[in-house]
Amino acid sequence: MVVLMRIALTSLALLAAAASGPSDVVSGFSRTGAQEPQVVEITAERFSFNPSEIRVKAGTRLEIRLTSEDTMHGFHILGTDIDLELPKRGRGVASVTFQPTAGRYTFECSRLCGAGHAFMRGVIIATE
Amino acid sequence: MPSSTVENYLKAIYIGTNSLEPPQRLLPMGQLASALSVTPGTATTMVKTLAESGLVEYEPYAGVALTKAGQRLAALVTRRHRLIELFLVQVMGYSWDEVHDEAEQLEHTVSERLVDRMDAMLGRPETDPHGDPIPNAEGMVKPQKKVQTLLTCPLDTTVTVTRVIDQDKDFLRFIEQHNLKPGEAILVEERDAAADSVRVRGSHDRRLTLGTRAASKVLVQAVHVLLLVLLSVPAFAQATQKPAPPPRTALSGYMDFHFNNPEFSDAQLDFHRFVLLVTHSFSERIRFVGELELEHAVVEGLEEEGELELEQAYVDFLLSRSFNVRAGMMLMPIGIINERHEPPVYYGVERPFNDTVIIPTTWFEAGAGVHGELGRGWRYRAFVVAPLDAAEFTAEEGIREGRQKGAEANVGRPAVTGRLEYVAIRGLTLGASGWSGRSGFQFRPVFDVPVSLAEFDGRYSRRRLELRGQFSQVWIDNAGQLNEALALRVGVNPNIARVLRGFYGEAGYRAISNASYGEVGAFVRYENFDTQFRMPGGYVGLPEFDRDAWVVGATYWPDPDVAIKFDYSLVRSRSSVVQAPDSFNVGLGWWF
Repeated sequence: MVVLMRIALTSLALLAAAASGPSDVVSGFSRTGAQEPQVVEITAERFSFNPSEIRVKAGTRLEIRLTSEDTMHGFHILGTDIDLELPKRGRGVASVTFQPTAGRYTFECSRLCGAGHAFMRGVIIATE
Repeated sequence: MPSSTVENYLKAIYIGTNSLEPPQRLLPMGQLASALSVTPGTATTMVKTLAESGLVEYEPYAGVALTKAGQRLAALVTRRHRLIELFLVQVMGYSWDEVHDEAEQLEHTVSERLVDRMDAMLGRPETDPHGDPIPNAEGMVKPQKKVQTLLTCPLDTTVTVTRVIDQDKDFLRFIEQHNLKPGEAILVEERDAAADSVRVRGSHDRRLTLGTRAASKVLVQAVHVLLLVLLSVPAFAQATQKPAPPPRTALSGYMDFHFNNPEFSDAQLDFHRFVLLVTHSFSERIRFVGELELEHAVVEGLEEEGELELEQAYVDFLLSRSFNVRAGMMLMPIGIINERHEPPVYYGVERPFNDTVIIPTTWFEAGAGVHGELGRGWRYRAFVVAPLDAAEFTAEEGIREGRQKGAEANVGRPAVTGRLEYVAIRGLTLGASGWSGRSGFQFRPVFDVPVSLAEFDGRYSRRRLELRGQFSQVWIDNAGQLNEALALRVGVNPNIARVLRGFYGEAGYRAISNASYGEVGAFVRYENFDTQFRMPGGYVGLPEFDRDAWVVGATYWPDPDVAIKFDYSLVRSRSSVVQAPDSFNVGLGWWF
């Protein structure tokens, strides 16, 4: 029964694709569009962020997603209220949106993570 | 039968009007055009045609709504779409992020009979894989319970995800990856308006911080108290408390507890390291870091049971990204392990032999220097520190005993050390380190014992795989004169080499990775280390100190910060008389 259904549906899919060609109509009200933030994925591990240098155009809305490869780290952008706690390896992602005006924004690990904790720094460079 | 374009318009109006807040009844044309990715003019033309057919009610400058006939047609095409999605996931094994496009095609072609058979086969489901309600064959939807988004639901209250209202593939993958699919129980811990973010806690205490846009697309319902008890999720049964901001003073540490069973001698239990780290921020630019280590548990008078060592105690003056100043007791920036030695971050119960007899980890000295990032993934440190004391060098462990460790250290002629690191490629760290100093300050009459060290290392980790390699070489100039001077002092020729060399390669793989039970990794390492690699004129190297080793083992991480380690170390030397012992080792290490 399941096999027959699979064959039927696969055939229908092929037929539909052949018959309709490219469609200019899509449905759904929450499709992503041009307003989506630019996603920046950063991994953190003792004792570095990667990438540690992010260059964007000023005014770009960034969605920064951070994952840890080992222990709990922090992500603090100096001079802002942004201070996230990154879950330990395999326990999830921290994300935050940030829309920088022109300038350099230093970020650092804000949770003590080991002997080289102080080296965990990076910068977001927003240019005009 | 209506064309697919008509059906798509009806479905878009159906979904759009269902999302309106009462008393709004008409869907604005701009919103409709945006949902269909067409121009407002195109949408208006089509809507006028649909109005002439009696399927919609159109009010210029106000919007559009479905008539009863239009409502039924729209509900049926939506029913087909959602049933096909569910069928593709449950029967055909599709993932939920790839069914939308397939259903967009099939919804216009499948017969009502086929749809009804699918409906029966799936057990007359009420929702599709994304939690969207499936209309019945009459086009009716069961009355929906009141739902909220992650932006509006109460804080610190367990809720169940009921629906995800964005069908974008990347978003759906993100939702699946982070256990936010319909049916998952979660709890909103905090909303931060300034940071535009929402922090949620899920099963197994996983935390995730979402932007408000993403949070608005996840619909939830409160979990009944009885259900909560039945679910028995410990994380949610606890009283919830918002985490405090990071303290200006923080305490942390790591420990290393070992069972060593070497050949030719009895097994030992050794509480190898008990280390406490403390940091304090005087300001964002001035920080203190201290690390106090107790090795082998007991320090008692002159007995050499253990050591209490101040391995780090420095103040960082963070001036800029590229130039920062550090002064105090510092770790030498040499090799993989010396600066990165928390037990859960390396395989093997004991540190590599190379990081004991060639690079004397933990290598720390008093001094001052600069460090920073140069951009494009380049980082550096450069320190001026107390030199090694050549009077303590040995044939077996090379320069290890020559560390002055900041104890009234002689700095008549300070040493320099530095490291250049490249970290621009995700998962890859390449490093080169150097050390140079004059170490003969103990001898009278004075003679120079210049010592230098060069080291190269690479480390690559990606998901479950980790590869490491390190090469290091030490040069001791005037080693012949040093041997003569020491022989006069202690009566025995110490046979110190003029060149020491070592290298190793290691591969580790986390074969098991489970969110609930932790991870298990296996590794193999080959090491070659010779503290008698090149001898000064007139001296012959001792073959028992030309060694290599295979170390194989496994690590179980029940938590990313706790490591239970096992390994077997097979050591061989070039000597046919003195045998290096093999050993079986078990370790428990943790960081907090």
